[in-house]
Amino acid sequence: MRSDQEIRDLLRSWVLTKAPELSADGLTDRTPLFEERHLRSVHLPELLLLLERLRAAPIEVEDLRPGDFRDIHTMVDRFGGAGVTP
Amino acid sequence: MSSTANAPKPRLAEAIASLGDTVSRLSHLSKRSYQNPYITLRQWPAEVRPEDDWFSSPEYVSLYGTPLWDTLDEPARRRLAFHEAVNFYSLNIHGEKGLMQGLAQRLYRKDLVDVSEYLHHFLDEENKHSIYFGGFCTRYAKVYRSRQFALEETRSQSVEDFLFFAKTMIFEEIVDRYNWVQARDARLHPVARFINDNHHVEESRHLVFGRQLVTALWGACVPSWGDDTVADLRRQLEQFFVVSWREYYNPDVYADAGLDDPWEVAERAWSAPAQRAHRRAVSTKVLSFLTEAGILDKEPADAF
Repeated sequence: MRSDQEIRDLLRSWVLTKAPELSADGLTDRTPLFEERHLRSVHLPELLLLLERLRAAPIEVEDLRPGDFRDIHTMVDRFGGAGVTP
Repeated sequence: MSSTANAPKPRLAEAIASLGDTVSRLSHLSKRSYQNPYITLRQWPAEVRPEDDWFSSPEYVSLYGTPLWDTLDEPARRRLAFHEAVNFYSLNIHGEKGLMQGLAQRLYRKDLVDVSEYLHHFLDEENKHSIYFGGFCTRYAKVYRSRQFALEETRSQSVEDFLFFAKTMIFEEIVDRYNWVQARDARLHPVARFINDNHHVEESRHLVFGRQLVTALWGACVPSWGDDTVADLRRQLEQFFVVSWREYYNPDVYADAGLDDPWEVAERAWSAPAQRAHRRAVSTKVLSFLTEAGILDKEPADAF
């Protein structure tokens, strides 16, 4: 299983490929990704697939809340190792 | 982001009105081929044998041309092809749910009254397609879950309309290529051939309508959209291409087909050169349309 830090790093890389206007220096774990429109709803299915792969467990869409994707920190907290529910 | 608040209604109305002849012709064809799906569903067998029959064309299975495909024996390939067919029908169900919502919202809207007659047929036909897709999935397998999850976004009506019809067209153009190929594939189980053939015949009308409407909307609205809006629309459509294709590589399918580490299987299949080439080939027609119309200014590189 990947550590939270590995998940954080891989999420960060993915966000940078999808949000070309964001620089590596400008992206922090607290950058509001959707609120500032760096990412849009159309990115979510691919992001969910990535999160499922990184934690090697499915994510039930019906249990999701909009705030779950606020920033990288929130996603790691919600979906990382500590957030995995059987 | 630039303002998109003022939709150019007279030009939009003019563009919609230009579809009049097409709408009349397509409506006539829809009335002529009106069907009752329940008659057909009654004729389908009570059960099927996924390891004995092909339910997807092997060349259109998501692992085809990858090293993993070579390790599978014939029954395992057929089993995978069956689950891929269920996934294909499931993603159509999920896509058509959103499509039906969007069509219903636009029925008899003042500026779309001229195309409302055809919107009724469009809505009716999409519902019937979902009855076929859902009938297959629930009788022989299950409906695979969707990973679609929308956050609230504020857009002008013209941007919302354009995105709705453009995304519908992209989704349907990709699906239609699968339908066209699989309807003609004599190796497939008759039920699978029927579903693909029926969908292709009806979608061909929707595609004619979709291409004309998307062109008309783009031509009417783009002069009033600023450069930032146009760039944002293009970026969203490019990502929609990626997402549409990603759904064909469903880890849940690989798990049901008995493959280990299904998320890694999905990632390897997505990145395989043969699959990249497949996606590009299937996308050629709709990409050509979008670039020739000036809607996209480059191909969505992440999809290939």
